[in-house]
Amino acid sequence: MTSALRTENLDTGYDRRIVVAGVVIDIHRGEIVTLIGPNGAGKSTVLKTVAGQLAPLGGTVYINGQEASSYPAAEVSKFRAVMLTERMTSEQMTCSDVVSLGRYPYTGKLGILSDEDKRIVKESMDLVHVSELADRDYHAISDGQRQRVLLARAICQEPQLMILDEPTSYLDIRHKLEFLDLLKSLVTDRNIGVIMSLHELELAHMISDRVICIDAEGRVVMTGTPDEVFSDASISSLYEIDTGRITGLYSSFLKSVSK
Amino acid sequence: MKSNRIKACYVLLGVLLLLLILMNMLIGSSSMTMGDALRILFSHDTASKYGKIIWDIRMPRILAAALLGGALSVSGFLLQTFFANPIAGPYILGISSGAKLVVACTMVFALTHGMMVHSVVMIIAAFAGSIAVTGVILLISDKVRSMSILIVCGVMVGYICSAVTEFLVTFADDSNIVNLHNWSMGSFSAVSWDNIRVITVVVVISVISAFMLSKPMSAFQMGEQYARSVGVDIKAFRISLITLSSILSATVTAFAGPISFVGIAVPHIIRSVTTTSKPIVMIPQCFLGGAVFCLFCDLLARNLFAPTEISISTMTAVFGAPVVIMMLIRRKAR
Repeated sequence: MTSALRTENLDTGYDRRIVVAGVVIDIHRGEIVTLIGPNGAGKSTVLKTVAGQLAPLGGTVYINGQEASSYPAAEVSKFRAVMLTERMTSEQMTCSDVVSLGRYPYTGKLGILSDEDKRIVKESMDLVHVSELADRDYHAISDGQRQRVLLARAICQEPQLMILDEPTSYLDIRHKLEFLDLLKSLVTDRNIGVIMSLHELELAHMISDRVICIDAEGRVVMTGTPDEVFSDASISSLYEIDTGRITGLYSSFLKSVSK
Repeated sequence: MKSNRIKACYVLLGVLLLLLILMNMLIGSSSMTMGDALRILFSHDTASKYGKIIWDIRMPRILAAALLGGALSVSGFLLQTFFANPIAGPYILGISSGAKLVVACTMVFALTHGMMVHSVVMIIAAFAGSIAVTGVILLISDKVRSMSILIVCGVMVGYICSAVTEFLVTFADDSNIVNLHNWSMGSFSAVSWDNIRVITVVVVISVISAFMLSKPMSAFQMGEQYARSVGVDIKAFRISLITLSSILSATVTAFAGPISFVGIAVPHIIRSVTTTSKPIVMIPQCFLGGAVFCLFCDLLARNLFAPTEISISTMTAVFGAPVVIMMLIRRKAR
């Protein structure tokens, strides 16, 4: 089976300055791969590069078995949907307006939705339980609801690969769990490959099929299943926590994660 | 529910447009009856006294107010989309003043050399001024992240351009001052049928082009990264947006001088009434709304203190600025 996303020795960064080098990723449909690492390690840079926002500084990105740069600009969005940390400023947007934009790669010159498109929009909203928000202003709903609306927009694109940059960061613990639960079931139902970054190690441990660790210097220090990654003592070195000074709280947390 | 609102808004704007065209035709220093006007319109009577008033004076002015008002409002909407800020507009960002400055230079130069300025040259001059100021604004927007500071900078750039223009007008040849002064205050009165032809071509083509950009614009409203992720060529898109917006506001300034607040107030009113900001709805409705707004303001500008005429920019400020203030307060309150 072709990988939803595969990279070969990918170097990522801005303006020729490499942030994370030699990234090797291989994600099949139905899998969740999570990037973890301290702030500033370059998780977002990697995600932006595989999302086509930044040009690779070296190496190659393959989407669905084909080199990403060889796709016509609009075509690749039928395979790849992104959910990056970008604030939307436009006023007077209902949630269904936002979700409808997910049909962008499929609509005609003026972007008018067909009946089929409308059906898919509705179905996507049902799937993430935001149908009752359809006519609400996107700016007037809660953060948790907003993330779900954005997820519906991504689902609408009928992608095989989804890229999410810290989708849970502004949510409280209940909504974090709710969101990831939803994501997990979508990935299984729709057979979508996911790459995302998460801050919360315990959540990464719960949801991921594989975890990629990037350290503060932008090196990929470990890739493996959550059990492999979290059982190793390298988690504290990843976050440069001096083991001698770990507080009781943190060590019990680490234990809970690695068991 | 929402599509009904949008339809109702089209109907309302259509009715208002017809009503205001009619009122502008009938009301003035010499008022006429509906019967007179209809007879003149359908018999193409251009010879009688009323015929001359309608065909030579009021019709070109009505068309100018409608087309240029629409252009201005669409131009504002494009800038708002570009800067992702509902307070952006060609007047407040100083773009109209930049256009005014270059047009004034061109006019002073031509008049002192006894040349006539063709309307296309006027548009090109205004476009040059618009683009120059837009360039400055873009440079500033690269440096400052805050939209309100950008707006303040725009206002300042506008003041500088206006000051230089005032200077030019003060020292221009006596006989030309009146003409130049009227124009630099803003007025639809000096537009000829020849001008109208050029205006129609430029405005119609630009507005249709803007309409054709509705789809990438709707993705851009979700953020630049999102637009790129669905395949929008951001650079080409930004250039088209700025060019179209500049052509539209330049055309207005070339023929009617700088006109304030229409570019912000009208899109805001339309957004509030239709409760949408989808470009595919906004562009046509902003055009109609701008036409209605300017016809209304021009009707008052001509008649309120007749025979003295008030500048159009004064009227649009009286009705437009409060809308903008309300909008700012409401945004802060939220």
